[in-house]
Amino acid sequence: MLIDRHDLVALLDRATGKRVTVVSAPAGSGKTSLLRAWAGRPGQDRAIAFVTVPPDQHDAQMFWLAVLAAVREALSEGHGKGRGEGLSAGLGAGLDADPPPAAPGSGGSVLVDAVLSELRAGGRRFVLVIDDLHELNSAEAVDGLRSLLSRLPPDAHVVVAGRRDPPLRLHRTRLDGELAEIRLAQLRFTEAESRELVAAAGLSLPDRVVAVLHERTEGWAAGLRLAVLSLAGHPDPERFAAEFSGSDRTVAEYLLAEMLERQPPGVQRLLLRTSLMDRVNGELADLLTGATGSERILLELEDSAAFVVSLDPERTLFRYHRLFGDLLRLELRRTQPGEIPALHRIAARWSAAHARPADAVRHLQAAGDWPDAARLLCDRALGLTLDGRAGTVTALLRAFPPGADEESPELALVNTIAELNESRPVEAAAHLEVGRSLAAARPPEHRNRLALTIASLDLLLARMRGDLDGIREQVGALPPVLSVPSNADVALGSDLRALALLNLGVAEAWSLRPDDGERHLTEGAALARDIGRPYLEVACLAHRGFTALSRSPALARRRCEEAIALASRHGWDAEPVIAPALATLAATFVWTGEPGPAREWLDRAGRVVSPGSEPGVRLLFHLVTGMFHAARGDHGRALEEYGSAASVQEVMAGEHALANLVTGLTAAAHVRLGRTDRARAMLDALDDERAGTPEIRNARALVRLADHAPEAARRELEPVLDGTAPSRLRLTSVEAHLLDALACEALGHHHTARKAVETALDLAEPDRLILPFTLTGARRLLEAIPLHETAHATLIADILDIPRAVPAAGSPEPGPGLSPSELRVLRFLPTNLTRLEIAGELSVSLNTVNTHIRRIYAKLGATDRSAAVRRGRELRLLSAGRS
Amino acid sequence: MPGHLSPGHHDPMGDDPSVYRIRVGGCLGPTFLEAFPALTAHQDGDETVLTGALPDSSALYGVLAEIEALGLDLLEVHKARP
Repeated sequence: MLIDRHDLVALLDRATGKRVTVVSAPAGSGKTSLLRAWAGRPGQDRAIAFVTVPPDQHDAQMFWLAVLAAVREALSEGHGKGRGEGLSAGLGAGLDADPPPAAPGSGGSVLVDAVLSELRAGGRRFVLVIDDLHELNSAEAVDGLRSLLSRLPPDAHVVVAGRRDPPLRLHRTRLDGELAEIRLAQLRFTEAESRELVAAAGLSLPDRVVAVLHERTEGWAAGLRLAVLSLAGHPDPERFAAEFSGSDRTVAEYLLAEMLERQPPGVQRLLLRTSLMDRVNGELADLLTGATGSERILLELEDSAAFVVSLDPERTLFRYHRLFGDLLRLELRRTQPGEIPALHRIAARWSAAHARPADAVRHLQAAGDWPDAARLLCDRALGLTLDGRAGTVTALLRAFPPGADEESPELALVNTIAELNESRPVEAAAHLEVGRSLAAARPPEHRNRLALTIASLDLLLARMRGDLDGIREQVGALPPVLSVPSNADVALGSDLRALALLNLGVAEAWSLRPDDGERHLTEGAALARDIGRPYLEVACLAHRGFTALSRSPALARRRCEEAIALASRHGWDAEPVIAPALATLAATFVWTGEPGPAREWLDRAGRVVSPGSEPGVRLLFHLVTGMFHAARGDHGRALEEYGSAASVQEVMAGEHALANLVTGLTAAAHVRLGRTDRARAMLDALDDERAGTPEIRNARALVRLADHAPEAARRELEPVLDGTAPSRLRLTSVEAHLLDALACEALGHHHTARKAVETALDLAEPDRLILPFTLTGARRLLEAIPLHETAHATLIADILDIPRAVPAAGSPEPGPGLSPSELRVLRFLPTNLTRLEIAGELSVSLNTVNTHIRRIYAKLGATDRSAAVRRGRELRLLSAGRS
Repeated sequence: MPGHLSPGHHDPMGDDPSVYRIRVGGCLGPTFLEAFPALTAHQDGDETVLTGALPDSSALYGVLAEIEALGLDLLEVHKARP
């Protein structure tokens, strides 16, 4: 029953010459019908993506994923292809089709950028239609949309439609003449259009009847459509029109009653009893009505009316027009209030069994079954969060009556998950304690299930705090999670088990128990794949590369590349989840002396490592960045990065696998800068256990060499070389042999030196570990080696090929690579302005400022605003003159 | 905080229970009135006045959202001082 509204269609066509069109008008004004008719015309020269925001959308990421999917879909279609198919596919993306999985807990700004780059790369005229924007209840998503509109490429146009003017701050766009608006006044049907609508429905009514309908409905689309439905097969349209005209009821209410009255009882029952659902199929409708044949009725309704829409090409899933559904719900509430809780319970059971946990919780809440709702939400909160629906979890939490979370261990645990997702470990820990104490008062059959969740959250919390020993203790208390759970707990148990394996594997990786870590991470990744949790799989694989780093950087590199490729397939290669793999991959390139790729991966890692990242990853990132600078001879910058790494270690509850390497390299950097005393002092201050580790022994050997005490240096190295204090890092072993070679050289033992170098080369060869040769300065020993006397001629040639490290002083400072917009934000950091105020000054969104600040911190190695300012000042980035 | 403010005191958070009078176009029948269980309705010509105490401004916005969802014509919102 779509009619061609030429004037409005022409208006929309003309509007695409501007940047934005806003269609803003009340419920039932015909916005969606107009846009679908406009977008669905065949033979258009532009690609059109159509996204409908689902009811009460709280998840920024779900929204952006739907937009991204629709944009990609629209761009992948050929010019010659009819629009119809693409349009329904686009609608599907917004309404029902499962969106691609999202990475939980990260900002949507990455996705906004992805949408923009698709649009730029598309290279053709493009229109993005976003319908029902008033349903978008996520400030973050609205921020993102604002940012999208401000950065739209010239051949792209956005249409937003909704019941109220969108909060997109479009006044500037309007002043620039770049905004087109379609409002209620234009959307009202003219009398001629009303006649066309009646005719399109196959009715032939006298013009005076149509005139009465038009006048009484004031051209309101929903009113006209309801009237047409009521008039289908009506014996006396003249009388209908007269009575309608004489009634003082609102149009919608009057016509709804008329329309329902004309339906057979079975249809009436179906309409009312399914109205509580956002979406319904034949099976669910049969359950709700207690009858059979519902699917046939739904199909007939869609064929005969404009108020039922099928959501899939097979026409098995339906929804009502929003306003129509609302009207039916009110009528149900008026006529059969007692039935409503029972209907919600049926809907909840069905939703839970059909992988719609959020709908199920919502229906239980609507039925007033609060404890059941809390239990279900607690069981599913982790899964929902991992699916990128943390916003939904929060919204469901808020829908409980005030104070409910003070009595419910389940809600306390859901709060824990929500806080962990926001990287707020302190708040999470507080909620977890409340949950633990409330759970103790529960009957045993509930307690076991709660214990499972609590144990798993303890583990996750320990990991976020860098409490590596704590994790291993917690795992000791975990047998119920790690043993296969029974019956209904299987789904919950699998999620928790995969998460437990991830946390355990990560703890083992960071505490340099690589074999255990690798085993658990591999197992976790396999389980995650089996249960369809790609995010957990990527998380496991992202850490797995690190477990191989000590043994074989070449293997670590392959593992990281695999993990990044998988993340990329899900669109997560710029998400925090992949940070460990990015940093580890950068490490392998630093170690093999390839500064180009090392810089590239460090940059990518820097964009996703933030002060909120887990400590293990932050420490690795700073350490590797420091080694990168040290390899270039910039020991000042290296020291700063090592300092950042050390301060991460300070806030960690457990010792990081690389902590000794950080300390050793810090001392080495001091030596290189001629501050041997500082190096000696910091090494002397270490306790015996740390002092005996190979990394620290190497550092002390370096100090002795600087002191011109090569004998003493050799004594320091002896336990490392003879295997009494073996290093778990191949890198450290190579370094020890090279330091020994330098000591021998200084003693005039050229033959021994030569042998030590050859051993170092033997160890370095399989993974091409070039860094120690650069860092120790041992490359000069290589120059003297006749190539026919070594098995490593190629490696030697490669090492000698690397340009000599440039001294820090006087060399051109490449700067930390801040973008112009990041520099603009950086220059506001010394002021007292809040982030929101900075956003106002720069006319960008708060979200954008947050993103810039995150990147500034990462690039400057700062953990807070004052550190960023300090660092910016040192690099002379704060004056606008530079850059 | 609720209940401690004197009458007429400006209430920036809107968390005071207040009596509201909301006028919409058309005559609302029993079906539409199901949408406003907290309010009583009386007809005033071809308009309907919904009156009742709402606990805070969130409740008011809830009512306004219903009015929007039903496509009703909102004519006036009046907050009576308690």
